[in-house]
Amino acid sequence: MSNTTSDDSLITTEVQADSNDDRAPVNEAGTAVAARDLNVYYGDEQAINDVTMEIPEKRVTALIGPSGCGKSTFLRTINRMNDMIDICRVEGDVEFGGKNVYDADVDPVALRRKIGMVFQKPNPFPKSIRDNVAYGLKIQGFDGDVDARVEESLKGAALWDEVKDQLHSSGLELSGGQQQRLCIARAIAPDPEVILMDEPTSALDPVAASKIEDLIDDLAEEYTVIIVTHNMQQAARISDRTAVFLTGGELVEYDDTAKIFEDPEQQRVEDYITGKFG
Amino acid sequence: MATDNANADGFGEVSRVRGIAFEYLSLGASVFGLVALGVLLVYVAIDAFDLSNASPEWLLTYFVTLVVPFLAFCLYSADDPAVTRRALGALGGGLVAVAVVFTAIESLLVPIPRLNWQLAYLFVVAAPVAAYLTYVGSNGRPGAVGFGLLGRLVGGAALGLAVGTLFLVFDSLVWFLAYTLGVLPAVGLYAYGRVREASRARTAALPVGFLGLVAAVVLRDVIPTYPSDLLIYLWTIAVPIAVAGGLVVADRRGRTVAAVAAGLPLAVATAGGFWATGAGLPAPTVLLVLVTTGVPTAVYVSRVVDVGEGVVGLALPFLIAGGVVVGALVVEAWGVPAPDPWLDAGFVTEAPSRTPANAGLYPAIVGSVIIIALVAVLSFLLGVGTSVFLEEYTPGTGPIGTLTRILQVNIANLAAVPSVVYGLLGLGLFANLLGLGIGTAVTAALTLSLLILPITIISAQEAIRSVPDDLRRGSDAMGATRWQTTKNVVLPEAMPGILTGTILALGRAIGETAPLIMIGAATTVFNPPSSLFSRFSAMPMQIYTWAGFPQADFRYGVVAAGVITLLIILVGMNGTAILLRNRAERGS
Amino acid sequence: MTDSTESPDLSRQSGLTRLKEGTYGGLFAACAAITLLTTAAIFVTLLSDAVVFFRATPIPEFLTGTNWSPNPAGGGQAFGIVPLLIGTITVTVTAAFISLPIGTLTAIYLSEYATPNARSILKPLLEILAGVPTVVYGYFALVYITPALKATLFPEMSTFNALSASIMVGIMTIPMVSSISEDAMSAVPDELRQAGYGLGATKFEVSTGIVVPASISGIASSYILAVSRAIGETMIVVVAMGAQARMPAVREAAFGIPFINPADVLLESGMTITVAMVQITGGDLTGGTLPYNSMFALGLALFVVTLVMNVISDIIAERYREEY
Repeated sequence: MSNTTSDDSLITTEVQADSNDDRAPVNEAGTAVAARDLNVYYGDEQAINDVTMEIPEKRVTALIGPSGCGKSTFLRTINRMNDMIDICRVEGDVEFGGKNVYDADVDPVALRRKIGMVFQKPNPFPKSIRDNVAYGLKIQGFDGDVDARVEESLKGAALWDEVKDQLHSSGLELSGGQQQRLCIARAIAPDPEVILMDEPTSALDPVAASKIEDLIDDLAEEYTVIIVTHNMQQAARISDRTAVFLTGGELVEYDDTAKIFEDPEQQRVEDYITGKFG
Repeated sequence: MATDNANADGFGEVSRVRGIAFEYLSLGASVFGLVALGVLLVYVAIDAFDLSNASPEWLLTYFVTLVVPFLAFCLYSADDPAVTRRALGALGGGLVAVAVVFTAIESLLVPIPRLNWQLAYLFVVAAPVAAYLTYVGSNGRPGAVGFGLLGRLVGGAALGLAVGTLFLVFDSLVWFLAYTLGVLPAVGLYAYGRVREASRARTAALPVGFLGLVAAVVLRDVIPTYPSDLLIYLWTIAVPIAVAGGLVVADRRGRTVAAVAAGLPLAVATAGGFWATGAGLPAPTVLLVLVTTGVPTAVYVSRVVDVGEGVVGLALPFLIAGGVVVGALVVEAWGVPAPDPWLDAGFVTEAPSRTPANAGLYPAIVGSVIIIALVAVLSFLLGVGTSVFLEEYTPGTGPIGTLTRILQVNIANLAAVPSVVYGLLGLGLFANLLGLGIGTAVTAALTLSLLILPITIISAQEAIRSVPDDLRRGSDAMGATRWQTTKNVVLPEAMPGILTGTILALGRAIGETAPLIMIGAATTVFNPPSSLFSRFSAMPMQIYTWAGFPQADFRYGVVAAGVITLLIILVGMNGTAILLRNRAERGS
Repeated sequence: MTDSTESPDLSRQSGLTRLKEGTYGGLFAACAAITLLTTAAIFVTLLSDAVVFFRATPIPEFLTGTNWSPNPAGGGQAFGIVPLLIGTITVTVTAAFISLPIGTLTAIYLSEYATPNARSILKPLLEILAGVPTVVYGYFALVYITPALKATLFPEMSTFNALSASIMVGIMTIPMVSSISEDAMSAVPDELRQAGYGLGATKFEVSTGIVVPASISGIASSYILAVSRAIGETMIVVVAMGAQARMPAVREAAFGIPFINPADVLLESGMTITVAMVQITGGDLTGGTLPYNSMFALGLALFVVTLVMNVISDIIAERYREEY
C-alpha cells in the first residue's frame, strides 16, 4: 500500500465495522448507480474486469483494494471523467438513475453536473472562497440567490464558521483540510445526486481527515456518496457498503460493510483485510 | 589523463592547469558577447548625449546632485551595513582603479578615443553599482514604494502618450459615439448584472454594446456638431479612468478618500487640458498624460499611506526631480561647459530634417506606436486562439492528434523563416494582391503580426501548459464545458505568462526593419500617419535611413540618438514583461 | 433530488449552448489554421512570382551567372546568383567562426562550471544579444567596428565591408548556439559524469570528453540553426556591408595554382542574397517587372534553404532526445 495514513498501520488488529445504525437497512434503499458487465481498458491493458454492482441511494459506498486494482478507474467511469484519457475504452453499462451514461445521447458535461466529485489532492481554483463555491452555479447559469446557496453549501461542508468572515479571500490561503472541505462545498453547491470521492483524505493529516470523515457521514443524509479509499479503517468507519477490488480490476466481493470486515466470503478478501497481502 | 606517479608518500597530483585555463576560457567566452555589446552601448550613449564634450565639472555636479542622493536612497532602503560597505568600497576603489588603469593605458599604449577616465568611471563602476543598488534597494520597503511610484509615473505617461498617439489615426468622433452609445451602456448593464446577480442584464451587455458600435458608425456623418476634442477625451477616457481608480480605492478606504484620490487628479488633468489650450500645447495629449499618470499615482499613494510602510519612499520622484533642477542651477551658476545632447525634447517631437541639428524622430515614433498597437491586438488574439486550440481542444492521438503535430512542426518552422521573407509575403499578398497598399501601416501591421505569431504562440502554449491539470479536472468534474473550463480556469491562470510572452514578441516586432523595407515603408516622412492607409515610417526604418547619410553628425549624433530612443522603448517593454512575470510567480 | 425511479435528464444540451461551444472551438481552430495558411501563402506568393522570373531567366543561367545587375544604368540586365552566394557564404562562414566556438564554450560554462546563481543571471543576459534590433547591430558595425578595425588591424579596409558585418552577425547568433547546446548538455544524465569522475577524470576531461560527445547531436542542431539564422540575416549586412555584387579577383600563387585572397572578400564591400532583395525595393514595388520577380526568386531560394536546414536540425535534435 502506498498511501498510508497514520491509523493505517494497525492492519493486524481486527477491524470493527461501524454499522451506522442511524440509517435504515441498506436493502430498503433504491439504486443510485449500477454497473452491468463493465469492462474498461487502457489501450491493451484491462483496468476493470467484468464488474456488475448496484450502489444504493443515500448511502456511503466504499471502494477498497490495493494500488492499481481499478477502484479509481471505476469511480471515474461513473461521471465519465475517463473520457479525458484518449486511450481509455469502456464496454458495458453504467446506469445512473436508470439511464446508461454511455448511451450515445448522453452528454458527459450534463452528466457531471448531476454528479459531484472530490479529488485526492485538494484542488480549489485560484479564486475567492465564494467564487470557488459558486463556480458550479455560475457555469450552470443558476438564477437564484447565489450567496444563500454558497452559505448553505459551506455549512453543509462544515466550513462556514471558519471562513464566513473571509469569503472574498483566496481559497488557496486555507489549510489543506479546509481546502478539501471547500472542494466538498464546491461539489455540493449545485445540488448533485451523487458525490464521488477519490481518496479525499489521503493528502491530509489525521485530524483534518477525521473531520472529513464526520462530514461524509452527514452528507449521506442527502447524497449518495461513493468513496475510494486506501484506508480500510476509514472504509469500515464510514461506509454502509464496501466493494473490494483486487488486482486486474476484478470486483471480488461486494456486501454490507459489517459483513465484509467481520465475515468475508472469500479467503482473498480476508487476507487483504487482515493485511496478509496488498 | 592522470600521470601515474603515485608513490609511497601519497597518490601524487593530477595537473589541473589545463582544466583551470579551460574554465576561464569558457567564462571569457560567456561574457565576450555581453562585454562587446556593453562597450558599443557605452559609445552610442556617449554619442547620443554628447558626453565626450561634457566637462569633468559638469559630470561632478550631476554626480553629486543626482547620483549620490539616489544611491543614498537605495542604501537607506536596503538598510544593510554589509551592502553599504560593499557599495562604498566599490565606488571608492573603482575610482582609483579606473583612474590609474585608464591613464596607464592612454600614456603607455594607445589613446582611447572619445572617452576620458571620468566617463569610464561612470560607465564601468558607477552604473553597475547603481543597478545593483537599485535591485537591492527595491527589495526594501521604502525602495519598493519609491520605484513603484516612479514606475507608475513613467508607465502612466508612456500610456497616455501612446493613447494620444493612437487618436492621430483613429477617428475620435466615432470613438465618442461608440463610447457613449455602446461601451458605456454595455459596461453599465454588465456591472448591474454583477451586483444584482441578474444574469439577463449580463447577457444583454454584449448585444447592446455591439448595437451601440454599429449605431456609432452609422451616425458618425449624420450628427452635425460635436463637442471639442478636449471634452470628448475628458468624457470618454479621463472620467472612466478616474472612476475606475476611485472604485479601487473605495474598496479599501471608503468613499471620501476615494473621491479625493479620483477627483484630485481628474481636476488637475482638466485644468491642465484647458491651460494647454491656451499655452498652445496639444490639449488632449496633456489631459491624457495627466490622467494616466495622476490616477494610478493617487491610487498608489493612498494605498501606501493606508498600509503605512515605507512612506518615505514616496519622496523618490522628488529626490530625482530636485537633483536635476539643482544640478542645472549649479551648472548655470558655475558656468561650466555642458554637453549638447542629440537626444533631447526636440528630437522626439520634431520631424526629420536635412540638417542634423533639427532632425527629429517624431513621425517615426508615431508610426511605430500605431503599428505595434495593431500588432499587439492581432498577435495576441491569434496567438491565444491558436495556443488554446493546440493545448485545450485537441487530443494527443488520432487524426486530430496528427494534425496537431503537423501544426506544431509548422509553427516551429515558421519561427525560423527569415524576416525578409515575411516582408516578401507582405508585399506580394497584403500590399499588392489584397490591395492594402504599399508601405501602409495596415500592411506593416499584418506582416509583423504574422512574423511574431510563432513566438507568441509558443510562449502562450508554455503558459497554458503550466496551469496544473488538477484545476482542469476539478472544473470538468463540476460539469463545465470545455470553453467554460478554458475561460474560467485556464486563461486567468495563464494570462500573466501569455502577456509576458506577447510583450517580449512585440519587442521583436518593434525593432524589425527588413520586412518594413520589403513592403515599401517610407524611408522618411515629415508628418505622422493620419490613417491606417497612409504611408508611414517607423523608428528602425528612420535609423536605417539616417545610417546611410554621409555626414558625420548624422552618423555619430542623430542615429545614435535614434538608437538610444529605440533601445529605451525596448528596455521599457521588456522590463514590463519581466515585472509581470515576477509578480505572477510571486502570486502563485 | 429526483427520485431514483425517474431517470435524470442527461441528454445533450440546448442548441444555444452547443452552438456557443462549437463557435468557440471553430474560432480557435480558425486561428490555428492561420498558421498553416501562412506557410501556404509564403510558398504560393514566392512561387508565383518566381515562376515568372524563371521563365525569363532559365535556372541554369541563374545558378551559374557571375554577374548580378538587376537595374543597370546602361542596359545589360543580368541575374547571376554566384556573386550573391559568395557574399552570403562569406558572411555565414565568418560569423560561424565567432558564434560556434564562443557559443559552445558558453554552453559548456553554463552547463558544467557556472553556479546556479551565475547561470540564472547569465542566461537571460545572453538572450539580450539576440533581442537587440539587427539594424542597431548594423549601425554598430558601420560606425564603431569598422573604424576601430581600420585604425588598428586593417588600414586598407573599405567603409563597407564583410568583416565588420560578419562579426556582428556572429555575436548576434551566440545565444542561439549557447541556449540549445546548453539544453542538450544539461540533458546528459548525471550518471555519465559520475562514471567519468569515478575513473579519475578531471572536470575538464569530463566536460570535453564525456558531456560534449554525449550531447553532440544537440550541439550540431544548434549550429545548423545559428547558420540558418546568419544566412537569412538582412539588416546588419545591408547597413554595414554595402551593396556591391562583386566576384573576387582570382590570383595565382606559386606554380600557377589559382586562389582567392580572403582579404579581397572580407575587407571589401559585397552583396548577400538578402541585400540584393532589399536593394531592388528601391525601384519598383507594384510588380510586373523582372527585378520585382527576381526578388521573389531570391526569397524562394532563401526560404527553401532555411526551411531545409531547420528540418535537418529538427531531425538531429529528435534523435538525441530518443537516446536517453
